[in-house]
Amino acid sequence: MTSSTTTLTGPAAAAAVPVRRHRSAGWIAVAPLLAFVALSFGAPALAMLGGAFTARDPATGATSYTTANFAASLHGAYLTALLGSVKLSAVSAGIAAVLGLLLAQAVVTSRFRALREAVLTASGVLANFGGVPLAFAFVATLGNSGVLTRQLGLARHGWDLYSFWGLTLTYLYFLIPLMVLTVTPALDGLRSQWREAAQNNGATGAQYWRHVALPVLAPSLLGGLVLLFGSAFAAYATAAAMVGSSVPLVTLQIADAISGNVLLGQENVALALSLDMVAVACLVMAVYLPLQRRSARWLD
Amino acid sequence: MTDTTLAVPLAGGDGHRTRAAGATVEFRALRRAFGATVALDGLDLTVRPGELLALLGPSGCGKTTALRMLAGFEHPDSGLVLVDGEDVTGVPAHRRDTGMVFQSYSLFPHLNALDNVAFGLRMRKVGAAERRARAAELLELVGLPDHGSRYPHQLSGGQQQRIALARALALRPRVLLLDEPLSALDAKVRLTLREEIRRLQQELGITTLFVTHDQEEALSMADRVAVMRGGRLEQCATPAELYARPATAFVAEFVGTMSRIPGRVVDGGTVEVLGRRLPVDGEAPAVAGGEVDVLVRPEAVRLSHDPAGRARVVATAFLGAVTRVTVTLPGGTPVKADLPTESAAALPPGSAVAVDLPDRPVLVAPRAA
Amino acid sequence: MARLTTLLPRGVSARRPRLWRGAVLACAAAYFLVPLAASVVFTVDVPGKGLSLDAYGQIFRADGFTSSLLLSLELALATIAVVLLLMVPAVVALRLGAPRLRPVVDIVCSLPLVVPPIALVAGIGTVLRWGPEHLAATPFFQTLVAIQNPAFPVVLVLAYTVMALPFVYRALDAGLRAVDVRTLTEAARSCGTSWPRALVHAVLPNLRGALLNASFLTLALVLGEFTVAQLLGFQPFAVWVVNVSGSQAQLSVAVSVLSLLITWALLLALTSFGGGTSRRAAPRRKE
Repeated sequence: MTSSTTTLTGPAAAAAVPVRRHRSAGWIAVAPLLAFVALSFGAPALAMLGGAFTARDPATGATSYTTANFAASLHGAYLTALLGSVKLSAVSAGIAAVLGLLLAQAVVTSRFRALREAVLTASGVLANFGGVPLAFAFVATLGNSGVLTRQLGLARHGWDLYSFWGLTLTYLYFLIPLMVLTVTPALDGLRSQWREAAQNNGATGAQYWRHVALPVLAPSLLGGLVLLFGSAFAAYATAAAMVGSSVPLVTLQIADAISGNVLLGQENVALALSLDMVAVACLVMAVYLPLQRRSARWLD
Repeated sequence: MTDTTLAVPLAGGDGHRTRAAGATVEFRALRRAFGATVALDGLDLTVRPGELLALLGPSGCGKTTALRMLAGFEHPDSGLVLVDGEDVTGVPAHRRDTGMVFQSYSLFPHLNALDNVAFGLRMRKVGAAERRARAAELLELVGLPDHGSRYPHQLSGGQQQRIALARALALRPRVLLLDEPLSALDAKVRLTLREEIRRLQQELGITTLFVTHDQEEALSMADRVAVMRGGRLEQCATPAELYARPATAFVAEFVGTMSRIPGRVVDGGTVEVLGRRLPVDGEAPAVAGGEVDVLVRPEAVRLSHDPAGRARVVATAFLGAVTRVTVTLPGGTPVKADLPTESAAALPPGSAVAVDLPDRPVLVAPRAA
Repeated sequence: MARLTTLLPRGVSARRPRLWRGAVLACAAAYFLVPLAASVVFTVDVPGKGLSLDAYGQIFRADGFTSSLLLSLELALATIAVVLLLMVPAVVALRLGAPRLRPVVDIVCSLPLVVPPIALVAGIGTVLRWGPEHLAATPFFQTLVAIQNPAFPVVLVLAYTVMALPFVYRALDAGLRAVDVRTLTEAARSCGTSWPRALVHAVLPNLRGALLNASFLTLALVLGEFTVAQLLGFQPFAVWVVNVSGSQAQLSVAVSVLSLLITWALLLALTSFGGGTSRRAAPRRKE
């Protein structure tokens, strides 16, 4: 674009006009997007921010600025829910990261091209298969009257789908495929020369994994883990459709507070909880993006 | 002087091996097929202690497979790999005692240059201080003493290959394996690194196998060159012998430049070409009167300006002291000739010339289709 | 003898990895296939009555099925239209005339990633409540009422468009990276085509895969979306499924199976149609 100015005056002058026109056209093309986001995203975000910091006196109707909502969101049942969400997300993301890595490695090292394509396509579907259908599939399988529960008599062994571990098992259903999708490019990026160079330098298979493969994969693995955590943390539909409120989760608490199920006048605490979630999500992104960049530099 | 500085890294350290001379490597009747493609079809080859042997051939000739079998990354369907007379076919790769330099991108991206070089020592549980000292010596050896803290992505391609070379030498292997280590580099870097590898190899006296598809590289570096084709050895000889007395037409044409000139067999030992009768070098084709091609090097072809000549100059390419002139014979056959540049100036494209050959034995090959 | 020593180590080292790979794949297959199979069994195996496809027949007769499904489809089409109309000009402009706007668009399109849907809906709910309180006398109030029309809640289209932005942006950007937009438009313009015609006839056809991909991601998002719709009190498909599940468990599982099969069919169609681009698409976050 700028190179046109280095040409002779005549053509340069002629070229400058469309160049300028492109630039303004660029703004015009992007402007609707910015306006839309400002309206549809900016307004709710500001409302959230404002509401989280205001309180209303029920008697007078007057509003005042306060941090009481945050204090409330970090106490009692709300704090339990927040911690419950963090625990569920961390545990299910950790398990899914390990299992997803194993599955991805099995697929990547397989000689069968078709198997690889099939698993990756299925992962693409299953990673997007959250929410309501997932909940009902697990209810039908392992719920109180689920097929496996009845066939294997799991209830007698203390099995309960509507529990922490039941929910974890369910979340793995979309987290493992998400991990496979995230880590497969990284595994593809592991060069065969590295394994051979390691062997050539006297490393056993275990030593190769310990000293080369895992350190090289570490940014991708951590990045994947963080992504899974964020995904599990934000999930609501599956839990809402499946467990109701038997497992304390921050998303369920927000939903209850918004719809006034528990107590009236908790809307602003819901907004403060939402901001808590945004803070966690920002943290996730702040960890994820640098990891992603480093991994790209090593493995491209 | 350099010898004494080199003696330090070699004699120091754990000192479990003080062998100065290289090892003997033997391939015996190696055979390997990948599905329907035969990579090695009974390869027999012996590498002498301390020599640099280049494995040369077109892609798919099996040269890399042979190298990887010695490193332990491939296993033969049948046949043996011997190092100092000892069968290593069943020894896993990490205990083969070979140092390998790969084509490219083989440095560990998460380790800096020093830790890359020290990797093997770490695997052997050598102490940290000794490891660092030894790695620093090796970096010095390859001319990069100040680059120890750089990461691979901060190094140029040539520097990366030097580090890879240092890493390959770190465990004092009995054999050094080079798998086209220069093919991903710029022409200029390639030339300097070529000389450097040769210098190091001669100083260390390490038996070295060098895989390449670049005949110039092979001829300029190696003590002997093994030309391979279709998984078999065509010829193994010194560069001079390979160039002057190629054992087969394939070797003749793969090593250096050859022109094919149509000729006719007169009897068992003579061939008629360009109106001359010349003795045949080596095995002559059986049938008298048979159509053959005579193979000639450009420096052996003589051209003279001759208005009655039936060959025409079609192109000239300036190569410095000599100019390569391409002429076509009456049948359309192209022939290349190297002339001193000043005499080539008298032969612009389009000139009529006479083509002549010296009175020496020539190689013949079956007529190309 | 020589043969034996050479063959033995290879046989051992080659067989072991295949064993663990088989075990991993078998476990994965069991985990991912059993719930699907069990769901099907659950819907066709009526206790005391034997096998019956009754649950699937009921779907079409159930109260609210058609209306909620239609609502979801309408919402999906509207969202796809809005998001593509906003994003296609923007990403093309980034390639052609305004590369310096890229960081701005990057950030704008990543913002929705850090705001989980449940937080977004909390904010939207707050905005909607402003209406009766502060804006009752202004035309804005009428607008707020209009976008909450239960027959076609525009507010959901707005929310879904925001949620789809990151995925659509990545899908389109990846698609454009594979196409040299500048050369294409310049080639078209040098053939005497006008600017808009160059875009429509030279660029968009080459973006077909990316557009399909983005559309599918949006479709899947809207059809499965539950959080925003439920908390704002509307009843598209996913909300309806949950609402009927209380009374008719088999029916809701049958609908889930059906919706899953439809999603798979769509995705497989897209994969074969769009040359396998779909699996490289950005994984979508759960709601």
